[in-house]
Amino acid sequence: MRSHPSSLSRRSLLGLGAAAVAGAALTACGGAAPGKSGGGSASLRLLTPIFDRADGQKLLTSLLADFKKDNPGVSVQVDYTEYGKLNEKLTTSIVGGQPYDVMLMGVGWIPPFAEKGVLADLETTEDELARLYNPRVTQPGVYDGKVYARPILLDTRMGIYRKDIFAEAGIDAPPKDLTELKEIAKELTVRKNGKLTRAGVDILSNDLRQTYLPVMWAHGADLFDGGKPVLDSDEAVDALQWMVDIIRTDKIEDYGFTQKGAVVAPLVQGRSAMMIGHNDMWRQISESAPELIAEDKVAGFMLNQQRPALFQGGTLATMSAKTSHPEQAKKLVEFLSGEKVSPQAAEQRGNIPAVLSAADSSYVKSNKLVSFAVDNLDHAFSEGGVPTWLEIREEFKPALESALLGKATPAEALHGLAGKAEAIIAKGA
Amino acid sequence: MSAEKLLRGATARGTLLANRPLLARRLRRTTLHLVLVAVSLAMVVPFLWMVITSLKTDPDLASYPPNLLPQVWDWSNYSEALEYAPFGTYFRNSLLIALGHTALNLALASMAGYALARVAFRGRTVVFMGVLATMMIPTYTKIVPQYLIAKGIPFFGGNDYLGRGGHGWLDSWWGLIVPGALTPFAIFLFRQFYLSLPRELEEAARIDGMGEFGIYARVMTPLVKPAIATVALLTFESSWNNFLWPLIITSDTDLRVIQVGLSAFQQADQNAWAYLMAGTTLATVPMVVLFLFTQRYFVQGFANSGIK
Repeated sequence: MRSHPSSLSRRSLLGLGAAAVAGAALTACGGAAPGKSGGGSASLRLLTPIFDRADGQKLLTSLLADFKKDNPGVSVQVDYTEYGKLNEKLTTSIVGGQPYDVMLMGVGWIPPFAEKGVLADLETTEDELARLYNPRVTQPGVYDGKVYARPILLDTRMGIYRKDIFAEAGIDAPPKDLTELKEIAKELTVRKNGKLTRAGVDILSNDLRQTYLPVMWAHGADLFDGGKPVLDSDEAVDALQWMVDIIRTDKIEDYGFTQKGAVVAPLVQGRSAMMIGHNDMWRQISESAPELIAEDKVAGFMLNQQRPALFQGGTLATMSAKTSHPEQAKKLVEFLSGEKVSPQAAEQRGNIPAVLSAADSSYVKSNKLVSFAVDNLDHAFSEGGVPTWLEIREEFKPALESALLGKATPAEALHGLAGKAEAIIAKGA
Repeated sequence: MSAEKLLRGATARGTLLANRPLLARRLRRTTLHLVLVAVSLAMVVPFLWMVITSLKTDPDLASYPPNLLPQVWDWSNYSEALEYAPFGTYFRNSLLIALGHTALNLALASMAGYALARVAFRGRTVVFMGVLATMMIPTYTKIVPQYLIAKGIPFFGGNDYLGRGGHGWLDSWWGLIVPGALTPFAIFLFRQFYLSLPRELEEAARIDGMGEFGIYARVMTPLVKPAIATVALLTFESSWNNFLWPLIITSDTDLRVIQVGLSAFQQADQNAWAYLMAGTTLATVPMVVLFLFTQRYFVQGFANSGIK
């Protein structure tokens, strides 16, 4: 049984305040694996930010009916929430001493919760998981050499381009690397009387951190080295400089041209030739401009510079260290991350199934951005890696914005970010 | 120049001088109306844009530059939005909770406000300062303590007499309604109104032999109708729009409320804008109707209490 640091006085996990975390200190300490053994029957509580909307709930209900057939006597009470409020639900349930038996959470969330003793060791190995998943996909569920989570679905950020706009300009292939990307983007940028009407590349529609990270990884930089932040390495500065040049030097896109959460991304409207975007863009295109798909006008490409890089997020299944029904909870985790559920959960959200066996499914083949991601998972990188990641990641946006707005040089912005990350890690240690 | 002409000229000048203030008044009034129209438009345009967006198709939403009016008026967004999640249940729950909070606040806060305004007792000022102090605490910081209290209510949800062993008021109507049954703002508002009533009324009732509760219920409270309307509207509005507490305390879909339901349209990756706007339009209707019925008292209430 592993001991856990009992001090959780660091700032709350995304906004619940110090009280929540201090409470977690009192309740969350415990072994890495639940000590009690489960009997045949159990009532499990499941918290999920996926399987949203009526169709998602219907799907999960039918899947859980199958689970119950194989596990008679086990019932599952589902609490549906959204990613935006997942942390509040998790934290209050943990503080209140009523943790869910099975919790679905995102990439980057595992180390913080595993470190606090909230999650149970699933007592499996990476080698065992490699039979079912791509090894890159299982990494986010591993902390301190133990597997705390199994992947259900993935989402990626990649380069996406409009083939028709490229063809009009006589360009017949997507950019080989980020240097070429910028040159092509300059050529494809259109301004009328100084007003931007088409951005060569759109780097603002996606979450800024999730846009920067694949660019950073492509430049050869990393987030941490042995648990220490290396956010201001020369390679990282080059990556941010590349983004700053797009906005400030080469005027390929104006800050404010679009934003995350905009009704439609400029790429769909033909107001940008390329973007760094989510694979879910395929769903947006199929709903808003299906002709682009029918006429094969959209495709993905790899962000490449020193190395090819794909941002990988996703949803993983975990089990509470305090569950009273470890045996049944573990079965539910395995079921939700298994070959039956993973492909269907991914399809319902327009994402990528985590299991290898779904790589050739009709859904994956029909969605070109998903199939591109599946083909390139070997180049996938995930954020996180330290227990304080959920706090550190909140510092990215102001730092990146300060550089993009010209208030700080990329080196200054990243140096400040690295300093803050060090302080957060030191405070949490 | 004849005397008649001179007289006419003087009269015309006099009329002009007399009309000058009238013209200035008209000019001021016109300017004021123009400003008011501009401000009103600024207030109403987002609402109209919400309704218009709720009637657009996805390709229409994607068009650039955006169309002012829908190319096709897609009323099916409403029926499809309602199929997204069990909105009938969410509406019912929100209505029950909002009505419960409103009724309880009117009853309890008016009594508390009356006591603080009209009943002399030791420590009244300290109690009032305490009420004011609780208004300063941010909602977020109260969530976790409130959750722990709700979970530890004795004899509920399988709890023993020390509040252990069960889930208390979590995932129950009790947990949804009781924490919002009395708000410091409502107490404060009622106190301000009761303070403004003349002491003679109270003294006359007392001479006639009326008890304290009678004075509160039959003499003073009927005179604070603007306060009742204001507290009712504000409580209903705040309860109807409450999102975080119902989300945190419930896990059963049958207990979820309309604002939690609307979040189904907002996903991490992209929003279903047309459905979100259709759902929001529907969720706004009760508030608009309530305001139309109570606006006279509501405005009066704010004017009397000096709250902006």
